[in-house]
Amino acid sequence: MKLFISKKMIGVVSLLIIAAVLTLLALPNDKVDFNTQVKPILNKKCITCHGGVKQKAGFSLLFREEALGKTESGKPAIIPGHPEQSELIRRITAKDPDERMPYKHAPLDEEEINILQKWIKQGAQWGEHWAYIPVKNESVPDNSNSWIKNNIDQFVFSKLKEENLSPSKEAEKSTLLRRVSIDLTGLPASNNIANKFLQADNEKAYENLVDDLLASPTYGERWTSLWLDLSRYADTKGYEKDGNRNIWKYRDWLIRAFNEDKPYNDFLMEQLAGDLMPNPDDAKYIATSFHRNTMTNDEGGTDNEEFRTAAVLDRVNTTWSALMGTTFNCVQCHSHPYDPFKHDEYYKFLAFFNNSRDEDAESDYPLLRQFKSEDSTKLLQVMDWVKKNTNENEAKEYYLFLKTWQPTINSLNCDEINNGTVATVVNLRNNGSCRLKNAPLNDQKQLTFRYRSSYKNVKLSIHVDSINGPKLVSLPISDTKGWKIGIVPITPFSGRHTLYFKATCPTSAETNAITLEWFKFSDYFPGKGNPGYEMAQQQFVELLNASAETTPVMVENSADLFRPSNVFIRGNRTVMGKEVTPDVPHIMNPMPANAPKNRLGMAMWLTDKKNPLVARTMVNRLWEQLFGFGIAETLEDLGTQGISPTHKDLLDHLAWAFVNDHHWSIKKILKEIVLSATYRQDSKVTKELLQKDPYNKLYARGPRVRLSAEQIRDQALSVSNVLSDKMYGKSVMPFQPEGVWKSPYSSNTWKLSEGDDQYRRGIYTFWKRSAPYPSMATFDGGTREVCITRRIRTNTPLQALTILNDSSYLVMARYFAHRMNEWKEKEVSKKIAKGYQAMMYKSISENRLKALMDLYTTSFAKFKKDPLATNELLGPSEKESNAETASLVMVASALFNMDEWLNKN
Amino acid sequence: MKNDTHNQRLLREANHAILQQYTRRHFLKDGAMGFGALALGSLFNSCGFNSSNNSNNLFDAANPLAPKPPMFPGKAKSVIYLHMAGAPSQLELFSFKPELAKLDGQDCPPSLLAGKKFAFIQGVPKMLGPQANFRQHGKSGLWLSDNLPHLSTVIDDIAILNAVTTDQFNHAPAQLLMHSGSPRLGRPSIGSWVTYGMGSENKNLPGFVVLTSGGNDPDAGKSVWGSGFLPSVYQGVQCRSVGDPVLFIKDPKGMSRDLRKASIDAINKVNQEQYEEYNDPEILSRIAQYEMAYKMQISVPEVMNINDEPQYIHEMYGTKPGEACFANNVLLARKLVEKGVRFVQLFDWGWDAHGDSAGNAVDIGLVNKCRKVDKPITALLLDLKQRGLLDETLVIWGSEFGRTPMMENREGKVMPFKGRDHHGAAFSMWMAGGGIKGGTTYGESDEIGYNIVSGKTEAFDIQATILNQLGFDHEKFTFESQGRPFRLTDVAGKVITDIIS
Repeated sequence: MKLFISKKMIGVVSLLIIAAVLTLLALPNDKVDFNTQVKPILNKKCITCHGGVKQKAGFSLLFREEALGKTESGKPAIIPGHPEQSELIRRITAKDPDERMPYKHAPLDEEEINILQKWIKQGAQWGEHWAYIPVKNESVPDNSNSWIKNNIDQFVFSKLKEENLSPSKEAEKSTLLRRVSIDLTGLPASNNIANKFLQADNEKAYENLVDDLLASPTYGERWTSLWLDLSRYADTKGYEKDGNRNIWKYRDWLIRAFNEDKPYNDFLMEQLAGDLMPNPDDAKYIATSFHRNTMTNDEGGTDNEEFRTAAVLDRVNTTWSALMGTTFNCVQCHSHPYDPFKHDEYYKFLAFFNNSRDEDAESDYPLLRQFKSEDSTKLLQVMDWVKKNTNENEAKEYYLFLKTWQPTINSLNCDEINNGTVATVVNLRNNGSCRLKNAPLNDQKQLTFRYRSSYKNVKLSIHVDSINGPKLVSLPISDTKGWKIGIVPITPFSGRHTLYFKATCPTSAETNAITLEWFKFSDYFPGKGNPGYEMAQQQFVELLNASAETTPVMVENSADLFRPSNVFIRGNRTVMGKEVTPDVPHIMNPMPANAPKNRLGMAMWLTDKKNPLVARTMVNRLWEQLFGFGIAETLEDLGTQGISPTHKDLLDHLAWAFVNDHHWSIKKILKEIVLSATYRQDSKVTKELLQKDPYNKLYARGPRVRLSAEQIRDQALSVSNVLSDKMYGKSVMPFQPEGVWKSPYSSNTWKLSEGDDQYRRGIYTFWKRSAPYPSMATFDGGTREVCITRRIRTNTPLQALTILNDSSYLVMARYFAHRMNEWKEKEVSKKIAKGYQAMMYKSISENRLKALMDLYTTSFAKFKKDPLATNELLGPSEKESNAETASLVMVASALFNMDEWLNKN
Repeated sequence: MKNDTHNQRLLREANHAILQQYTRRHFLKDGAMGFGALALGSLFNSCGFNSSNNSNNLFDAANPLAPKPPMFPGKAKSVIYLHMAGAPSQLELFSFKPELAKLDGQDCPPSLLAGKKFAFIQGVPKMLGPQANFRQHGKSGLWLSDNLPHLSTVIDDIAILNAVTTDQFNHAPAQLLMHSGSPRLGRPSIGSWVTYGMGSENKNLPGFVVLTSGGNDPDAGKSVWGSGFLPSVYQGVQCRSVGDPVLFIKDPKGMSRDLRKASIDAINKVNQEQYEEYNDPEILSRIAQYEMAYKMQISVPEVMNINDEPQYIHEMYGTKPGEACFANNVLLARKLVEKGVRFVQLFDWGWDAHGDSAGNAVDIGLVNKCRKVDKPITALLLDLKQRGLLDETLVIWGSEFGRTPMMENREGKVMPFKGRDHHGAAFSMWMAGGGIKGGTTYGESDEIGYNIVSGKTEAFDIQATILNQLGFDHEKFTFESQGRPFRLTDVAGKVITDIIS
């Protein structure tokens, strides 16, 4: 037989095969799933050139309307129902390498082509990525196995069964006690709680333990620690000078919110828009400090608008990455390359945040002012007067003004300065002047402004429309002895005008005659002419000038200070595109019907039950805190490029339960998780299981995770019996080596806190962005310049050196040694065994004890001969200084370095 | 080329999901102590994934600083980057502008001011002629001011970039741009990128060391050597010439070395038993970290001690043991690269010559600062050369921006001393060693040093060139974060081929 097949014949045969395949496809078939079958092909093979960043040949596969729209050739590339007419199919199957897609890359394989053909045949339906679909109430599998304790275990067990794995038995009591104590409170349990559990012998003992832990005040501190990372909390402003910022009341707000188990939707609502809720109290304002943790740049000569914008962008990005597990920042420059977010949607969302009063001022305005108690009474009196003499809305405005000095116009908006400076405030010298554009005079009758001068003969005049234009006001100013807020009557002008400020003060020579900080144009104080008016106005002025504790908070612009929002072309602030109004991305749940198009409405939308991301992101994060990894590992990206959840049904079950069964209670959902058999498992692993599931993604064993920087410090303080249980207040400065703080142009120093304040929990340690507390930084504590969505754990020699040699840890080891010494045990080995027991809640193994006893013996021999070294190691102390104690310090230090102590097991 | 990049990116994305799991922990090899991981690169090689070049696959949690080959053989093995924080004036050092002298004292023409923004200059400032004499030096005949008499002797070893430009005119953002490719915080610094990509030769020393002098950290703080989204192990380790050379490297007082040894032995025995119970390979990793910590306690103080250097070296560098000075740091930099440290970053603070004090005057303070750095920097180049290390050590000198040809008039006033404001449009830097062509200049600014005329050089170009000399294609050297690949050079950068030998 002659085997002769021409090239032509091959062509014909191929065509026949293709035809056959197409015929097959024409038959009714299983429905292709866009998310699991089509989207991965598009993402992997097409979207780099035909997606958010690039749309070659005018073709994009990001959104259905784009994919079905006309391309540069004038016709669509996908014709639903007709793969044979679709250019896309023609191109992926083309023979000519210049035609065939993916261009210059390996062709799609047969199966991939089949899927795409079938998909177009079936109408080229788009499907949404799981994370953007509303959470549904997943049906719980019905396994019957005695290991299973709750619904979580049902999901986990099903998966284990699929993988032919079986779960581990429950961890021993001591291990479980330490694990759950540290997980829920960040600390070993108190003796009372621990003993109650260890001695109890009933079914409910563990649940009682969990209830005790959830109820203890240390719970709030532990979960605040997590939220400080997400809110990028710091005690300094960032950038060059990195000056101090007083915002610790926000940290305290968090602790209280967690402890009272504020429902998560309220918790978010207050942080995002507490200031816009009806009649906000101080706590609601302080909640909004969440988004005032952005950085402020005080470096000389910076463009305040540039850094105001940077802060606003950060608020958008943090809202999405921390609260909604989405890498929205991609959309800042172009449509999202993989996820269904469009470029202008970024700026529509930004518009929600673009009308807060902050302007990168060095003062960090707006600040909430909290009065001393005597002034609080005055506040009530003034507000009584105001309410009697004006309407409710105006009364609210007066309250806002007294509490925040807002809305006012910052003098940093002035320009055209002569004989003076404008940086964060305006300074004018003799014959100095400056200009303020677009001032809303609107027939207002008085000017309230904050200023200072140290000269007696200053004349300030304000002119309308030109530097020699009509006077708005002219007034003499005399040494103010510091900042002063004054109120002066002005000539009414209608509408907006450019103002010129002029100062004279011949005696001031080359120094500043007057400093101006902010201005406000308003009507007279209400009730003019009524008896008691002067007294009331006097009190009002006194309150404005009263000293108060301040915290940066959010305050929204008044209508006359409204800022329009524009798209930034390719993310560049200086290249503005079209103007946009606030809105949420089209792929997400719509704004609730009653939601205003402002920050409050955005918060209502975000906390709406229909929001597909918020609950999923939070339960995933809580799971990560307990198990070391999220169910979807990339907490910050639940989108198509994130790592897919290992147990999507479980994630959805938890999200559903969190919102619908537990009504957003964090304590309740945590309780459900820690009561599961999954959580309670022993964390020991066999070599076989390690090989099969090295990262414990299937949960055939319990979690084993290194503790956080704060937890490592806190538990050492705790076992050494020096941990202060003081809560709240200003951040503290425990021991830190010399020379860590070296910011230029800054006189701030690390001043060692006194007494108990050296031994507070880690969340109270002063957090300086440009020079973080060394031991925290070494244990992966981040700098919090921007939101930290999760900490990536490392294991380095610097960590070893920290616990071995940091004086803080030496001091703790001394206290721990004294504690061991004070136990009435004669034998050293018993002291050590008891010390170990205090740390791990269980008895020490023979080998461990031997290793530590060897260390003790070697140390003792050394110190016995060397009293000087003994004294040095023990430091100045009123307690006994002897070789025995010094050797115990060596042992205590070694105990602090045990891997089982640095991990929860 | 472009399509290759896409192809690799697609592959990266495909592997990204699996990869992220592997970057957390490492595999256990069989054997008694057998820690030490299966390198991730080999894991992905087996999938046909080009391992050594790109993406997150270079991170091996068990041995994150193990030496790794670059993408292609580079000329340089290590980098010493000398950053003069505050911005020295190019007009008194490298950029010879006789025409500017003629304009001295005249009002600045409005054309130079229109639409420009300055940090401090207000209204119409006066022009300020060069406050130093310039001469030609060496075979190359390059111009250099008399403020740098020592450097003039090695002029034929350096390549001067006279048209460096930046759009940032404030210190902190400009420093961040120069070192991390972004004026905002949160990106990895160049030293982190390099140690991530290449590891380090000496496992008993940190791979990326930072030394500061001048009394302050640079304006951008410690973030300018931060690791951004790279694992924290790649952040710069600040070594100090006064106090503990590395924080917590010294044993507590009263603890002898053999007691420290005994305690680490005890800790490791306890941890070994824990490992036998739990089988978690992370425990083995911890045991190894304690062994390494012990070694570092010896090797770090050793390398940081300059007392034992011969007298002629001290004279050459002008070092003063026991002081926190730039000269000491320069000598330490040489010792560190000699020991195999990959990236040494020096920051010297105090170059912000605004004219607000004598120390900040371009004719007083600047001259004094030059005296403190000229000799040690020259000594560094000579010393590296005599040790045969200059060829494989890339030395960079520079700052975040330069200074205006106008005299600063802060607050519109005459300043007490001669000073210049921040100026990003044109300034000078230089590079030497590591395959750089000496005795060359690249780029030119106009006759008063205000704008560039040719050879525009941005921070990205310098970064691209540094990576190139080490053996990395800056366009392909990426790390996935927040759903997209990041580069040191963002979306810009070209290698400055004119200065490469």
